[in-house]
Amino acid sequence: MRRDDSRESDAPDKWEVQLRKGCLELAILASLWSGRLYGLEIIRRLESESKLTVSEGTVYPLLSRLKALGLVQSEWVESEAGHPRKYYALTPAGKQRALEMARIWSRFSSSLDLLLAPLGPAK
Amino acid sequence: MTISNDSRQMIDAYLEQVRKGLRGLREEDAREIVEELRSHILDRAGSGGEVTPAGVGSALAALGDPEALASGYMTDDFLARAESTRMPWTILRAAFHWATLSVKGFFVLLFCVVGYMFGGAFFLAALIKPFNPKVGLWMLGNDTYSLALGMTDYKPQGHELLGWYLIPIGCALGGGTILLTTHFALWSIRRFRQARSAARIGRGLR
Repeated sequence: MRRDDSRESDAPDKWEVQLRKGCLELAILASLWSGRLYGLEIIRRLESESKLTVSEGTVYPLLSRLKALGLVQSEWVESEAGHPRKYYALTPAGKQRALEMARIWSRFSSSLDLLLAPLGPAK
Repeated sequence: MTISNDSRQMIDAYLEQVRKGLRGLREEDAREIVEELRSHILDRAGSGGEVTPAGVGSALAALGDPEALASGYMTDDFLARAESTRMPWTILRAAFHWATLSVKGFFVLLFCVVGYMFGGAFFLAALIKPFNPKVGLWMLGNDTYSLALGMTDYKPQGHELLGWYLIPIGCALGGGTILLTTHFALWSIRRFRQARSAARIGRGLR
């Protein structure tokens, strides 16, 4: 049977979306590893340190979900800017989850590197 | 940080739309979400010390459509609660919210309602049996069966098949049906959340 060309050309984008989706939770937990941050700081850290650029409207509901799952906790702190900011920090369960996810990621990434070696360096 | 009146009005109008979309959430949660978004907008728009309408416009555009943003919170909240509590009530609430968003959600809600009703009916039959002999699986003749719960004055004509076995059978069937319905609902909800999350991140890729 002939395959749909347009669907085929979409495939790498969809794959990238799935890949980013899978990484976003780990990326947010990892960004909080060294200490508490507020939403905009998390977004900027994701952009500057991982090139994981996602819409701002995506990050806040996800932070809310991580809080509901008990992986992060939050507190309001007055800022010098004149308005309070909501800071997020990892809970012990969040740290545990981040470590587990990082371990799985490292194992997966290094085993895939071996398989990808014959393809040469990525352009 | 100084804020012009125009900027304040733009922020208030946007947040009002978000708040409308958050109806159904606990008031305290909705207020916290709105205040966090206000703080985000002020930080993003006022990096130079002054919050201008242009800066606010850019911050609001980056947050996206207020209804979609509120919907993201609502769905995530319902689904996370359903997954963490695994209680029929929270699952039904999540399924109901999903049903307002898609046809697939409607069918999952329908399945859950029917599943929990059957599960509840089996349990109820087992619980009422010791107090009401009318409760049971009745053979009414001509190969017609009826599970009478004893809620009405109607007395089935025929004979009851299960006797006291109705209690363990009712508990097992009730528990099994509720458990199966819960598993199916959580499996569907997890898939739905993954699809939504992927779609949202897809839209957010820059």
